[in-house]
Amino acid sequence: MKKIGVTLGAILSSAALGGASFAAEVKVGVVMGLSGPPAIVDFGESYLQGMKLALKDYSAAGKHKVEFIVYDDEANPQKAVSLVQRLLQSDKVPLIIGTVSSGNVLAFAPIVQKAGVPLIAGPAIASNITSQFIEEKPSFIFRCSMVEKFQIEGMLDWGVKTFKKIGLVHSTTGYGNFAAKEIADGVKARGASLVAVEAVAPNVSDLTPQMLKMKESGAELVLNFHESFELVFRPMSKIDYKPTIAGNWGLSSLKVRDIVGTKEIEGTVMGQALDLSLDAPKAFVARMEKEYGKEFRWPVLAALGYDAAQVALKALDTAKSMEPEAIRDALEAVDGIKAISATPAKPYGPKDHECLDREHVFLGVWKDGAVVRLKY
Amino acid sequence: MSTANFIQLFLSGLTMGALYALTAKGLFIAHLATTRMNFGQGEFLMIAAYLSMTLLLVGVRVILVTVLVIALLGLKGWGLERIALRPLDRLKSLVGGQYSWVLTTMGVALIMQNVATLVWGKSSQYSPPLFSASRDNVVKIMGVGVFVEELLVIAAAFLVVGLFYVFLFLTTHGRAVRAIAFNRETAALLGIDVTRTTVLVFVIASVLAAISGILVGPIVTVQPHMGLVFTVKALAVASLGGFANPLGVLAGAIIFGMAESFSNYFNSAFGDLYPLLVVLALLVVKPSGLFGEAKADVR
Repeated sequence: MKKIGVTLGAILSSAALGGASFAAEVKVGVVMGLSGPPAIVDFGESYLQGMKLALKDYSAAGKHKVEFIVYDDEANPQKAVSLVQRLLQSDKVPLIIGTVSSGNVLAFAPIVQKAGVPLIAGPAIASNITSQFIEEKPSFIFRCSMVEKFQIEGMLDWGVKTFKKIGLVHSTTGYGNFAAKEIADGVKARGASLVAVEAVAPNVSDLTPQMLKMKESGAELVLNFHESFELVFRPMSKIDYKPTIAGNWGLSSLKVRDIVGTKEIEGTVMGQALDLSLDAPKAFVARMEKEYGKEFRWPVLAALGYDAAQVALKALDTAKSMEPEAIRDALEAVDGIKAISATPAKPYGPKDHECLDREHVFLGVWKDGAVVRLKY
Repeated sequence: MSTANFIQLFLSGLTMGALYALTAKGLFIAHLATTRMNFGQGEFLMIAAYLSMTLLLVGVRVILVTVLVIALLGLKGWGLERIALRPLDRLKSLVGGQYSWVLTTMGVALIMQNVATLVWGKSSQYSPPLFSASRDNVVKIMGVGVFVEELLVIAAAFLVVGLFYVFLFLTTHGRAVRAIAFNRETAALLGIDVTRTTVLVFVIASVLAAISGILVGPIVTVQPHMGLVFTVKALAVASLGGFANPLGVLAGAIIFGMAESFSNYFNSAFGDLYPLLVVLALLVVKPSGLFGEAKADVR
């Protein structure tokens, strides 16, 4: 197991805080997918970039000396579980943030809940991560990320209203199959049906057969729920088929734009939680570009990472002690967050452990090389 | 299914088959002469794809890119034989020692994955087309579209088969390869430089990976883990062809590519399951492979 990152923290004098009662050295555990499949790495590194910037900002004005103990779970559930156990038993962290793969989060969330240590899940998006624990007294599982069902609901509300024929291409991974079921149910609930459903198994790199089926079915909108977001675009020019593509927030990655092409990705729609027409997100992107250069590749992921860390650090500042239970209570009570993403000022409550609720998730669309809010 | 869709799927299967053929021929030539293979053949392809992508993106002309990448990969093939294979020959007499090359070639593959990650990053990368500034350089064949790079891959696979026959049967070095494939000791007694010929086959295998890598970049997304899939499928293809001759490898690859393309059209839920079932079924019927023979074959 490798400990790939550490520190970044600072103490602020209690005088500057107007007489705060104590300042402590706090280790926050971070489990993140930082190696393995490229899509996982892009998610993990982008989220972590945002988190690190938030910690840097906190270091200039925060109350405690905070250190992120970052471990790479390599998108492997067993490894994620063992790293979380290490954070709990060896590093004895009072708060954990992570990770990319929903399966990994679902594997270690019960352990964290049982240990009574708060977890801010992210950037995992599986719908049931917080909901399955929300009735616990109390639930220690929070999240600061997109929620799959919210973006699917937004997409289907728009898709069913706008298009007569909708097709679906999904991967055969746990994520892809789960999304496919949610989409099929959602389309049915709206009184419509999918004209074609095609699967893509891992290691398949040519989607010509699947896209031919989409073309045959006359699908005007193709919902793309595959981790390799660029694959559906590749055969489109050779089979002379130009449907509208829509999918999860992964389609807003600058890497995906670069691979697919600015012209080719124009009009592609995705679930989104960052409005780049607003000043704060624009300024954030400029800062991230300055901070990370070419390594910065995913504005919405970095923004949610930033916000997740902001919420966590504010909870540390307002908690009555550095005991996990006190930090959990502080998380539920955190207020006044100036989020970069659509996260509200008071993200959580006793029965709401999601930063983003349905009303905060909107649809974005690629326009002239940038993602802007889709108007419909 | 419409005729146009049939042709589209046929060309798609032929393209993927051609890519597997180029990779599998690298396995074939090394196995023919040494009964060993480079399990990092796919990673050699990956490195070639990255090198090609990098050079193309800085504006180097395609012909120069081809020459440079082939030369560099040829050098890598030489290095593989010298560093990862030859030193282990002395272990041959030990139990399991004759299979040490499996571990070392896999180890080299892992090293290359990590080197690619360090140099080019963990993300997927865009590799530009070889002969066009735009990404939609499609030509029409019998009314269906095909990328120029796909046609190149198909042409390269067939051309390489022809070159293999010329090399193996009409050149001194080719005869040397066939001779050591038959019996290394006898070949040495006949004055053939076995060591040099062994190096040669690994250089040829690497050059084939270079050609595949240059051609594959614009067709698939370039990323550090792309090689393993090609190695695994090439192994299946070479087994289907029978590890016997270049034509067998090509036939096996085309069957695999077609099975992949058409099965994904009729039922996409299982991906590689159907092509692999085709390979298994054919190997049950003919365990030595379609073009293989039960006895030693050095054609």
